[in-house]
This record gives sequence, C-alpha cells and structure tokens, in this order.
Amino acid sequence: MLPHAEMVHWLFASGILFVGLCLLCEAVVGREVWRARPWRKYLWPSVAFGIGVLLWPVMAFFTNSSIHMYAHGSWAEVLMLAGGAELALVHGRLESPLWRLTWPLAFVVTGAAFIVHEQNPWFFARSAFLHHLIGWTFLIGALVPLALALRPRSAAAQACMALTILAVAVMLYTDRDVAPVFGHLSPLAGVPHR
Amino acid sequence: MRRVVLAVLAALAFPAAASAHATLVSTSPPFGHELQRAPARIVLHFDQYVKVLPGSVDVLNGVGKQFASDARVSGTNVVARVAPLKLGAYTVRWRAISADSHVVSGVWTFGVHVPAPAVGEAYGAGGPTASEHVVRWIWFLGLALAIGSLGFRVFCLRGLDVPRSLERKIAVAAGLGVVVAMNAGIAAFSLRAEDALQLPFASFLYGDLSPMAATRFGHAFVAMTLGFAGVLALVYLSWLLDRAALLVPAFALSVLFAGGLSWSGHDALDPGSSWKTAVADWVHIAAASVWIGGLATMVGLLWYGAPELRRNAFARFSRLATVLIALVLGAGTYLSIVRLPHLSDLWTQSYGRVLLVKIGLVCFALAWGAFHHFVVRPTLDRADAGALARIGRSLVGESLVGIAVLLAAAVLVDSKPPARSDQQAPLGAATTLRP
Repeated sequence: MLPHAEMVHWLFASGILFVGLCLLCEAVVGREVWRARPWRKYLWPSVAFGIGVLLWPVMAFFTNSSIHMYAHGSWAEVLMLAGGAELALVHGRLESPLWRLTWPLAFVVTGAAFIVHEQNPWFFARSAFLHHLIGWTFLIGALVPLALALRPRSAAAQACMALTILAVAVMLYTDRDVAPVFGHLSPLAGVPHR
Repeated sequence: MRRVVLAVLAALAFPAAASAHATLVSTSPPFGHELQRAPARIVLHFDQYVKVLPGSVDVLNGVGKQFASDARVSGTNVVARVAPLKLGAYTVRWRAISADSHVVSGVWTFGVHVPAPAVGEAYGAGGPTASEHVVRWIWFLGLALAIGSLGFRVFCLRGLDVPRSLERKIAVAAGLGVVVAMNAGIAAFSLRAEDALQLPFASFLYGDLSPMAATRFGHAFVAMTLGFAGVLALVYLSWLLDRAALLVPAFALSVLFAGGLSWSGHDALDPGSSWKTAVADWVHIAAASVWIGGLATMVGLLWYGAPELRRNAFARFSRLATVLIALVLGAGTYLSIVRLPHLSDLWTQSYGRVLLVKIGLVCFALAWGAFHHFVVRPTLDRADAGALARIGRSLVGESLVGIAVLLAAAVLVDSKPPARSDQQAPLGAATTLRP
C-alpha cells in the first residue's frame, strides 16, 4: 500500500518549504536573534537530515526504473550528509567551516540527478518541465550555498539561500500533472494521469 | 524583451512534437505467477501508445524455444499470441518503441503448473559473474565493519572510560561500514537485475526493475536498505548527542537486518532448506561479522589510538571471540552437512571446492586466534611497549586472514550448491531455467 506519487512529492515539498521558511526567518531577523532560543538553531538542519532519512523508503520502493532508484538514493545520501554536518556544526561537534561545503555538493548532486533521471524533454508534460527546471535551479543555485560557506555572515547570501529553497519547494508542489498549472502539454503523453 | 516573453509563452502553449519513454503498467500473465492453464496470449499494458517490431515479444522455455508469434499493438497494449504451452517454466522478454523512438524493455517469468522461476533465473540470464563476487565481498566487508565496530563498542568497551577521540572513530567506522554495505547492496541488486534483463547499460538505466523487486532477494534488498538507513541515523545521533547507549539498538538492528542475506539466499530457498538452515546462516553471518569486524576495530582504532585500553579490550574480546567462534563453527558445520551430504562432495563439487578453500582460511584464522588467546593473553600484563606493538602487528595479520575469509564466503554465496535428488523444493522456491 504505497502512497500516490503526487502525495509523496507534496510531502517532501512541505518539508523543503519548512526548511526554506526557517532560512528566510533567519535571514530576516539575523542569526543572533534567530539563535536567541537555543532550540531554533537545530530546527531546519534536523528537518533537512530527517528528509534525507525519509528519502530511503522512496528509493527502496521506486524500482520500476533503475535510474529513479539511483537518483533517490543519491539525494538521500547527500541530504543526510549535508543536514548531518549542519546539525553537528550548530551543536559544536564539528568546528571547521569547510563542512558547510557539503551543501554545494548536495545541490550539485541533486541537480544532476534531477536532470539525468528525467527521461522526457522540457515540454513533454508539466512534470518534465519542472524536473528540468528544478535540476537547473539546483545546479546553478549551488553557487549560493558556496557563497554562504565562504561568507557565512552575508545577509544577501542567506536570503538567496532561503529564496532558492522556497522556489524549489514551490516547483516541487507543482511537479505532477494532476495540478492545474500548464496542464498536460503533449497529446503523446496520453490522458492526464499521475 | 516583450517578444522573448511572448515567444516563451507561445512555446509553452503550443508544444513541439514531444516524446517519452513508455512505462509498463501491468502484464498478463502477471509477474512470477504459477498458472493452472496455459495462456493463449501475452498482454503488456503501457501508460502510452507504443510501437513494436517483429520479435518484440519472446516467450522462451528452458531450452530457448520460442512460442510467441509476432506482437501487435492494440491501444496502449501489446499483444502476442502464444502457441500451446506444456507444463514448465517460461521467460517473457519484451521490447517496445516509445513515442520518442527510445526502446524500453524488460523481462518476467511465469510457470504452467509449476512455480515460476525467480526472474534472476530467467532464460538468458548468465548467473553470477566476477563483478558480483567482488560486490558481494564489499557488501560483507561493510557489514563486518558496521556490525563488528558496534559490537566491539557495546561488548568490549562497556563500562570503560573511552576517550572521546576513540568514540568518534568508532562512530565513523560504523557509519562508513553502513554506507559501504548499503551502496554495495544497491550494486548487488543492480547487477542481479542487469543479468536478468540482459540489456546494454544505457537501456538498463531505464529498464523495469519491478520483477526483480518482487523476488525474495528484492524484498530483502528493500528491508536491508531501510533497516540500515535506521542504523546509520542511530549511529549519527549517538555521536552527535554523545550517547553511547544509542549504539545498542544500532547494533541490534544491524544484526537483525543482516539476516536479509540469509532469508533471500540458498539456505532459505533451495531444495533441502528450512527455517533452521536460514537461521543457521543468519547466526553464521552475524557471528562472523562481529568477530572479523570487532578484530579489525580493535587493531585499527584502539590498539594505537587508545593504548591505555589495550589490556582490558584484548581480554574482553578474547572471551567474546570464543563464543563467536563456537557459533560460527556450529552453524557452519550444520550448513555444510545440509549442503553437501557426502564428504566426497568437498572435492568433487565446485561448491565443495570453494568451501574447502574457505574452511582452510578459517582454520588458519582460528589457529592464529588461538595463539593470541592461549599464548599472548596471559603475557599481556607484563608486556612492554615493543611487545605490545608486535602483538598489534600480529592482530593485523589475523584481521587480513578474516578479510580473505569474507572473499571466499562471497564466492561461495554466489555459487549454487549441488542439487539434492531426495528433497523437494519448498513452496514458492525458484525453478532454474538455465540449461
């Protein structure tokens, strides 16, 4: 009894949206104010790590295509790595700021996996268009966490990071053909389906 | 700028000729079913319109005889009529041309009045290769590192004042072992599926793996992936929160899910197998992993990294190893008797010869371990720094022999035990189609 694919996409989009909103709040009020409550600094890194853990069931059960299995597995691993490194940094278990480079790595791997595992060209259906868009957003957007790793106090970099994550969340919400945006673009895709 | 925006909107509103890879939604007969009546036709239902060429659907028996006529398209279905099928197991191999001209393909099996063979045993599949032996070996190494390091920390360092640096190293070793085991498991599943599908690599990336996922091996793969993801999370949290107690459930879970290999292997599925052989295989794997992995952890992390704990850890591990060796030998002997009922099978059967090599390496490791237990252990209290360094090198040697044992075990697990004429296959067991 597996959930429908669009439900899974929306669940993960909700998690990513939460992470983006936390990042946006931190960028707006500033890191010192955000971390005035000790528990807040763990919030978005914990969710990011948790999303990485939850991607493993998606990887294990989505076996009707080997490339989908590898894509979801790679996302699970890099998200656990980046989320875990961020958690360890805020907790003080890791000290070197170089660990923040796990985020640009996660962005690059995720973006490449999105583009490679989407078998259809851009304009076949909305899901294909958004997979390509999300992929390129991550690939080009990897410059943002790279800038943040090199300039952690930059308010502009923090804001860009938050907006990139929020944009990805919105795109992931609209990622399935059942939603009304654009619709089913090509007649060769058959009747609208999941 | 306005013209560019209008052009983009127009492109989105009026798509160019687009194309796609088709997805197989369902089949008749279904994957892996035993039918009471031979099917008159094979039906593949896709999620879109496809095209077929002559020879797009093959229905093959155990000797490669073809029973399907040329396939035709009916809506989003591909249909091929089938000549009357006799009792036996059959393989269906199919190819279809998607709307974008890319070829999608797959394989599944069914049986007429017999159980369907596992898809890994489909006609045309070549069986385990050297690559699968290497991947299986890496899988065992990852399991041994994960289970062994966790077991070493839980049993041999309990109650001791463990330095923080050693705790971190053990957590890293356990985490690395889990990651290696998980990725090796993915590689092993992929190699097994590639062998069944018989596709070029580029086509394999978009091949349908669901028949392989429906086998017991596939179920074990899913369970082990999820279980070890949980182990990885527990190990990480143990390190992050400085709570060594979390390593206990991590160890228990890792031992439990290592049983997936036993549940999907020869000792659970082949003729002569029972729940006893599956449990014995699990005990064998778990005990060997704790022994070899624990030894590697002690010599690699503790011996030079926390020398103040050497004596205590060595004494405790030596006692633990006695129990582990008893379990390994007991379970291994029982399984050998089940698999090879005649002593001469050890040198007349290929499975037996591989087992002989493994037994030889195990005996070598046991002798070395016995030397450490009976000769070295009593002298530890009065050993100087030079002697302790030499003991460390000796432990490295024993670990390397243990790693060689894992390689022999990997080859053995991928080998097929000789068939027993006096036993019937358990219900649901695979019937090989390989000549």
